Amino acid sequence: MTRKIAFLSATVAMLVLSGCSTKEPAIDATAHSAGNATNTGANPKVVATSTTDSNAVIAPITHANAVDTTVDGSNGSNGSNGSNGSNGSNGSNGSNGSNGALVSILFDFDKFDIREDMQQPMSQNSGLVKGKNVKLEGNCDEFGSDEYNFALGLKRATAVKNALVNNGMNPDSITTVSFGESNPVCLEKTQECWAKNRRVDFKLP
Amino acid sequence: MKFLVLFLTFIHLAWGADATLEVIKGVEGLSALAIEDGSAQPSEVSRTFSKMLAADMNVVSLFVVDETYATAAFDSSVPATSHKEAKYILRYRLISDGIGGIKADIKLLQENEELFIKSYLLKQSEMLVFLAHTVAYDINKHLGGAPIDWIKRKVIFVRLTSPRHSEIVASDYTLSYQKVLLKGGLYGFAKWANREQNDFYYTSLSDFQPTIYKMNLASGNKQKVISSDGMAVCSDVSEDGKKLLLTLAPNGQPDIYLYDTLSGTKNRITDYAGIDVNGQFMGDGSIAFVSNRFGYPNVFSTRLGSNAVWQIVFQGKNNSSLSSCKNFLVYKARESSAGYGGNAFNLHLLSLNSGSVKRLTANGENDFPRFSPDGEAILFIKQEASRSSVGVIRFGLNKSFLFPLKIGRIQSIDW
Repeated sequence: MTRKIAFLSATVAMLVLSGCSTKEPAIDATAHSAGNATNTGANPKVVATSTTDSNAVIAPITHANAVDTTVDGSNGSNGSNGSNGSNGSNGSNGSNGSNGALVSILFDFDKFDIREDMQQPMSQNSGLVKGKNVKLEGNCDEFGSDEYNFALGLKRATAVKNALVNNGMNPDSITTVSFGESNPVCLEKTQECWAKNRRVDFKLP
Repeated sequence: MKFLVLFLTFIHLAWGADATLEVIKGVEGLSALAIEDGSAQPSEVSRTFSKMLAADMNVVSLFVVDETYATAAFDSSVPATSHKEAKYILRYRLISDGIGGIKADIKLLQENEELFIKSYLLKQSEMLVFLAHTVAYDINKHLGGAPIDWIKRKVIFVRLTSPRHSEIVASDYTLSYQKVLLKGGLYGFAKWANREQNDFYYTSLSDFQPTIYKMNLASGNKQKVISSDGMAVCSDVSEDGKKLLLTLAPNGQPDIYLYDTLSGTKNRITDYAGIDVNGQFMGDGSIAFVSNRFGYPNVFSTRLGSNAVWQIVFQGKNNSSLSSCKNFLVYKARESSAGYGGNAFNLHLLSLNSGSVKRLTANGENDFPRFSPDGEAILFIKQEASRSSVGVIRFGLNKSFLFPLKIGRIQSIDW
């Protein structure tokens, strides 16, 4: 009886396994000749004919929809002011990415300390944002490398945050983010333009 | 050992000259290969395919490629009149499959005898360049050339389209075919999540906080991985895909974290008041990263559970943009202290075994170096005057190749 069960089990297992082996592959791995007459096997010196090689089928990269449905216009500006004006077109003088009367703080190349000539704008901004929630967006010029540039933008935003806190602002009312070189207010390839892009923008929700 | 041999070979290449110059020097002794269009009805597409195959066969580097276009009957054993001198003939015929794809037959003849023949099915005709890459891969493999698995891999990059807007794009290694995977927001730092290239990580800056997502290529489904105030970047993925090196800045301080994808836990690796970014897994268990500890970006390393940090690069004014493979690092270095345009940014290769550093490029602004997963090649972007190119350096062959690039500004790239 036990042997019968073992035999039946083995038979069932073989059937199942053979069934698996004839299953259709995950991708269509059969490439047919483009010509009417097949060329395969016609010549004994042909040593690499293969029509069942998965490498013979080049599948599409994706069929998924590329449009990001989780992002809308207001989200795209990080919730700071819900408008594309954050790109700079809404700034006070066309080179400023900050909201309203707030002024962007500019930085030297590869630096994140607040310059002497930016102390006055910092004081002005400090008075305007006191008691409010503010978002500080760090930005860079197009020089420098991907991650390092983002970190540099963030350090600039953090330097401005620290200055605001030193002026008595509640640190919990300040958030920071870096856009690296992804959010320029000036697109020309000049030193003046790059200097405008090395900045921290003030955004009021 | 394999890498040591490759590196020693490469020393010869990197001795002061741009690798592209070596292409010209190295062709002596190679046999001529001509490419012929055997399609029943040659077309603009089949003519374009000839150019694609020629470019790839140049990269294969087993032949001197005759790039003149010619037609010939696919089944003929003799070459076209203009290709009588060629020892090898690579002949193809293309035909539409009627549903947006292309069927292709490929044949390699050596002195009128068939060496290799294979049929392919390209499901989307727009991906024609991938067909050329696959054919080049197969022929190289059949003839025993140095491994070029990377030639078939997909490249993923982020392209800045306008201020605060970018796209994530999948491409071939020459960046000539481009498929937008995600658009509508501001994204950065797209990186393959596994060797199979089924999924990728990216940072979304369209959320309230910078957020890392994982997206499935086939379905387009996204899942949130982690978010952080200030900055959230996936810098590197371990070989098995289970560990990530992230740059996070929960307190406005960019530091490197090790993230376990199975448990969702993270451990802080560095703790420095300046900038620590771009963590890379190294073959010896250490972690290389870029830091401004000495006042400018340079390459350092540390180990898990250790507070000790070692400087591992001792030259260059501004060393950032890092990529690792096993015990090798490639990084970008600024050649002078000048901050702006016209400055040379060259790629350098560092061996952790020997400590040697060799320059890989000689001129222009070279950026975004990325090792292929097998370490056989490096992909990079070159900017020279107003011309942009995507480059591939093949260590073992002492060669590099440049392909013209017209895609705007790249934010990040992965291979």
